[in-house]
Amino acid sequence: MSFFTRRLDPRAAISVWVLGTAAVIITARTNVLMVESGFILLAVCALGLFGKWISSLRLILPVTLFVFAVSAVFFSMAEAAFLGLRLICLLTLSFALFQKVSVEEMGESARRIGLPYGVSFILTSSMRYVPLLGERLTSIMDAQISRGIDLRPRLRNIPNFLALVIPLLIQAILLSDHLAMAMEARGFGRKERTFRKVMRIGAMDWAVMALSSVLFALFVWWELPHKLGAG
Amino acid sequence: MIELKNVSFCYSGSVDFALKDIDIHIGRGEYVLVCGGSGSGKSTLAYLLAGLIPHFIDGELSGSVCYDGAETRSLKMADFLPRVGLVFQNSDAQLFNGSVEAEIAFGLESMGLSPGVVEERIIGAAKKLRIESLLGRSPTHLSGGEKRLVSIASVLALGPKLLVLDEPFSNLDWEGCARLKTILRELNEAGAAVVVVEQRLREIIKDVERSIVMEAGAVLFDGEPDQAKGAMKELRLLPRYRRRDMPGSPRKSFEVVSVKGLSYSRAGMEILRGLSLEIMEGEVVAVIGKNGAGKTTLIKHLNGLIRPQEGKVRIEGFAASGQSPLKMAGLVGVSFQNPNDQFFKNTVEEEIRVGLRLSGRDRPERLHEISILFGLEGLLERSPHLLSEGQKKRTAIASIFAVEPRVLVLDEPTTGQDGRFLEALEDIISRLAESGHTVIVVTHDLEFASAIADRWVMIEHGAVIKEGCGPEGIENEFFHQAA
Repeated sequence: MSFFTRRLDPRAAISVWVLGTAAVIITARTNVLMVESGFILLAVCALGLFGKWISSLRLILPVTLFVFAVSAVFFSMAEAAFLGLRLICLLTLSFALFQKVSVEEMGESARRIGLPYGVSFILTSSMRYVPLLGERLTSIMDAQISRGIDLRPRLRNIPNFLALVIPLLIQAILLSDHLAMAMEARGFGRKERTFRKVMRIGAMDWAVMALSSVLFALFVWWELPHKLGAG
Repeated sequence: MIELKNVSFCYSGSVDFALKDIDIHIGRGEYVLVCGGSGSGKSTLAYLLAGLIPHFIDGELSGSVCYDGAETRSLKMADFLPRVGLVFQNSDAQLFNGSVEAEIAFGLESMGLSPGVVEERIIGAAKKLRIESLLGRSPTHLSGGEKRLVSIASVLALGPKLLVLDEPFSNLDWEGCARLKTILRELNEAGAAVVVVEQRLREIIKDVERSIVMEAGAVLFDGEPDQAKGAMKELRLLPRYRRRDMPGSPRKSFEVVSVKGLSYSRAGMEILRGLSLEIMEGEVVAVIGKNGAGKTTLIKHLNGLIRPQEGKVRIEGFAASGQSPLKMAGLVGVSFQNPNDQFFKNTVEEEIRVGLRLSGRDRPERLHEISILFGLEGLLERSPHLLSEGQKKRTAIASIFAVEPRVLVLDEPTTGQDGRFLEALEDIISRLAESGHTVIVVTHDLEFASAIADRWVMIEHGAVIKEGCGPEGIENEFFHQAA
């Protein structure tokens, strides 16, 4: 099932993600969104990611339920269901992208598309440091709870959260300072820089991009009259 | 190769000079140890050797720094890249790529080498450090020891003539230290000059051919390692432990900590496997073990941060699993490895008073007692962030102690600390034990463990594999492994 995924050029994968995300965002009717959801689920299965996607629902569902609950209170049940499904589609598309394309490949793709190397590198580095800062936050939380500081999510504990925020901020600033030094020491920004990774868009990539474009066009064609009518 | 003459340096915004009138010459193929207490200027010297001073770090630099006859001021930062390699103390900052392979490639690509040469050098460096199996992995998911080896590989691949390493042994267990020592010896024998800036002197002093001892930014001694020991002892860089009387059996018979059949798994990996341990009131116990043995997971069970999946943990008879970590803070105080995780107040006094308020004893006389016990009397008005590493650690432990726990757990308290702090910590632990507190020290530092503990317990693969009393036991059992 996952025959094409390993060979897919990151730029092709990003293009598919952009088209998919755009299709979901412009869709305003539940029946169209449900068809799109079907295609997205099919793609997740074809990519061999179904098992991991099911596990990821532990993170996706709480956010979705929150959006659903808020929408149900302020709008209607139908609107809440639509917004919930849209959020699941968007998060699933991003989940699939991050599973198949490494942060490094995204940065390299962005550079090849024309983003300056410095900018693409900073973007990818900042993404890479998110889990590290997450680990630091856990360590800080453990340290503060161990000294008796109450960090349970209660109104009266709001001032105590400074015990998390301040150490984390200071450590993030120090880390960025050390990171800049380490990058400088290994020649970041030198003009003669080469890039060892070779990226080639092959026939499979073109085919996948063409198929995604056709599907995107079909969904736009299906949704457009409704949009224009509503306008 | 590199020569410093009358070099002084003052960081921008500081009034004190980090380096004062330094004269050092490092020749090709030398193997040099640079040591000194916290704040002695060791890391500043490493930055100077690597060209980060004056090209990246702002400050006032005077004197002459010449690399192969060329004044470093007249060179560009780029000129240092293939010649000098710096391995930073903080591996997390040094490893900024998505995979180990990309990490090693980064500097090579910066030098403008062709993809074929880059690939060859990646393989070469990985083979030299025996990390071929890590090439496809993300540095974020490596152990501390693995991260250190990848940091070295990323610099080594550039083929530097001078390799500078800032505290490479910190965070490594005795096996990691032994492996790193072998690698550094091999690199030096292959012709690279190696400069190791280090606090863990016993790990390296027998290997180097020259020692530079620094104090307050000045070079106090520069010569053969055997002769340097006098200066090191004088500055208390080599700690002289008093070694407490080891009673062999605890002073009191009340069982404070009881761990029975504790098991814990995470992500399909067994971290603790039926671990059992009893600790008596007033006992000082060293929990020793290699990286990843399960030591930190064990101590997180003691104060309720982790609930047992199997087995029982009792503190003074109460089941730890039935209590929240907040309630447990009054029974078991845990001081984790990084003191910076704790500090969020403006002064040392405020940090300690956070604990005093929780214990219900926020009174000036109690603050005074604690500040004397931890040697913080003159530092109460200082910001905890601006203290030396030893002072930070003492403040962190004091703020935990202020909650008045009966059991104090210190997680790797010796990491990155100089000999003076180790002596001070030995004294603090002795006094805590004398006042009836139970102290558990989790450490890689076998010499420290042997000096301070009534009893040591060795953990491997999540279970207690050996235990014993006194220094002889530890030395006989384990020191030969690090040799």
